[in-house]
Amino acid sequence: MADSEMGEATLERKLAVYRNLDERFVIREEKYKGQQFSHIYFMRLHHMRSQLQSLIPKWKPHLPVNTVLGLEEGKECIIVGTLYKHMKLKPSILDEYSKERSAIPLVKPHNFMSTDDHLILEDESGRVKLAGPMLAPSAFVTGIVIAVHGKETSEGDFFVEDFLEAGLAPQVDRPLDSREDKFVAFVSGLSVGTNAFNPLQFQLLVDHVTGHLGDENEQRISSKIVQLVIAGNSMHISHGFFSGQTVAPKDHAKLTEPIRELDIFLTQLVAALPVDIMPGCNDPANYSLPQQPLHRCLFAGASAYNTFVSCTNPHHFELDNVQFVGTSGQNIDDLYKYSDAKDKIEFMERTLRWRHLAPTAPNTLGCYPYVDKDPFLIESCPHVYFVGNQEKYETRLLQGPDKQLVRLISIPRFCETGVAVMLNLRNLECHALSFSTNL
Amino acid sequence: MSSGDIKGFYRQKKKNGGVTKPSSSSSSSSKKSKSKHYTGGASVGAPSAAQTPALVTRGGAIDLKEEYGDEEEALRQFDMDMKYGPCIGVGRLERWERAAAMGLHPPLHVREVLVGLASGSTACSSKFKCLWEGLV
Repeated sequence: MADSEMGEATLERKLAVYRNLDERFVIREEKYKGQQFSHIYFMRLHHMRSQLQSLIPKWKPHLPVNTVLGLEEGKECIIVGTLYKHMKLKPSILDEYSKERSAIPLVKPHNFMSTDDHLILEDESGRVKLAGPMLAPSAFVTGIVIAVHGKETSEGDFFVEDFLEAGLAPQVDRPLDSREDKFVAFVSGLSVGTNAFNPLQFQLLVDHVTGHLGDENEQRISSKIVQLVIAGNSMHISHGFFSGQTVAPKDHAKLTEPIRELDIFLTQLVAALPVDIMPGCNDPANYSLPQQPLHRCLFAGASAYNTFVSCTNPHHFELDNVQFVGTSGQNIDDLYKYSDAKDKIEFMERTLRWRHLAPTAPNTLGCYPYVDKDPFLIESCPHVYFVGNQEKYETRLLQGPDKQLVRLISIPRFCETGVAVMLNLRNLECHALSFSTNL
Repeated sequence: MSSGDIKGFYRQKKKNGGVTKPSSSSSSSSKKSKSKHYTGGASVGAPSAAQTPALVTRGGAIDLKEEYGDEEEALRQFDMDMKYGPCIGVGRLERWERAAAMGLHPPLHVREVLVGLASGSTACSSKFKCLWEGLV
């Protein structure tokens, strides 16, 4: 929509219809009454079991479905339950009390897997060890619900012949009538407040997105960016400040400077386009998932604009009827510690197939002890699934058996890579935006 | 323990291995299919229902049937039923509402007892908490 007067072109930024769907992640009415995590596991099992039970007749229609306690030796059947992976190298708080300094090494690199890991299936009635070569423990984690077909052996294990995961959830059709390109920009791991943060590099990003950079062609591209999503770790508050002790006056600046610096950048951004900011593990937000939105008082400048939206982690929203779900990385990072895959995208695929955003919560990933729901269950497959704070930019278009199409995006840490991601809403194509200040 | 008259120790034995009292209360327990007697507890899937009544009550005294009445018995059976999920850490009424929202059709008489208690003047507040409250 350029005005063709000489030298006076006004470009208008495109708009997209935004709907925030974070309600299920916001902790509002929940009251902690001393409950433990058995309830969230029960809700998860119940929900996933009913989904699996509708899929079992198409999978193996002639086999009976038993409970664990109802297993009979030698009788072929199907059981449905939650997986528990026994890992001897998994750090346990009781290790410091154990008398022997056993096989657990002092410093373990990223992963706690060992060849001795084994899987156990559990339902309300009991648990049974899973045996057999079909289920490789390295591909599974505690907390997912699956159906297994096999029979009980004389040792009391359950020999698995086949297994069924819920698979991708049904997906609402993406609107196909859009003819114009509209872009969503993703960035994560800004880490304002650390040495790794390069203000010039981030300013380049801000200028590009807001349209203050480049000539008319460049500005035309920027005018098509309808939304910016900041997926966590925008600032880095040293964890020493989270201990609850009073902060000495000389350290006050270390606490407030990063926040103020970030607010200055954010104000420039929100003045130009809608921005969603999510908390990450280094942001001043609660530790356990779902992380609650960063408080508006942190952003005195940016929160004055209605384009500023502080979101939960995980974050679920809709833009022009395209469903977006994403996290700041904790769910995938935790999978990386307890299982193996060829890349982060594969972990993301698995969470979609297991229909659960964070299956290791609450086992090894902190989460709120919900009583009447499990908000991380994926009931409807998103069109775009993004994860922030990863090592590198990766993307894949995943196709499901029921014509589902999901764009998986791994957003790299900006402070380390200078890379942001652009997604085209029209065709779900994705490309990287790289900013560098090295000449 | 004196010389083995275990039957005398239990002043009262459960009649049907755990089925709740065959009075008006049991008529409304909806799931009476072959493998799902309203016996509660670890009997899900097991061929026979082996139920002992929960012996120790909140006061610490050995809990015998006469001391807590039929209502509490029905509430405890509801607590112990695995079908509705864990009972610790949730109030009985909340657990009932949750089970109803999940479509599990929890027995209506349990809710009547709990709602009746809420409005009654002699409401014993300990009945809203599950069996194991304060003990675990």
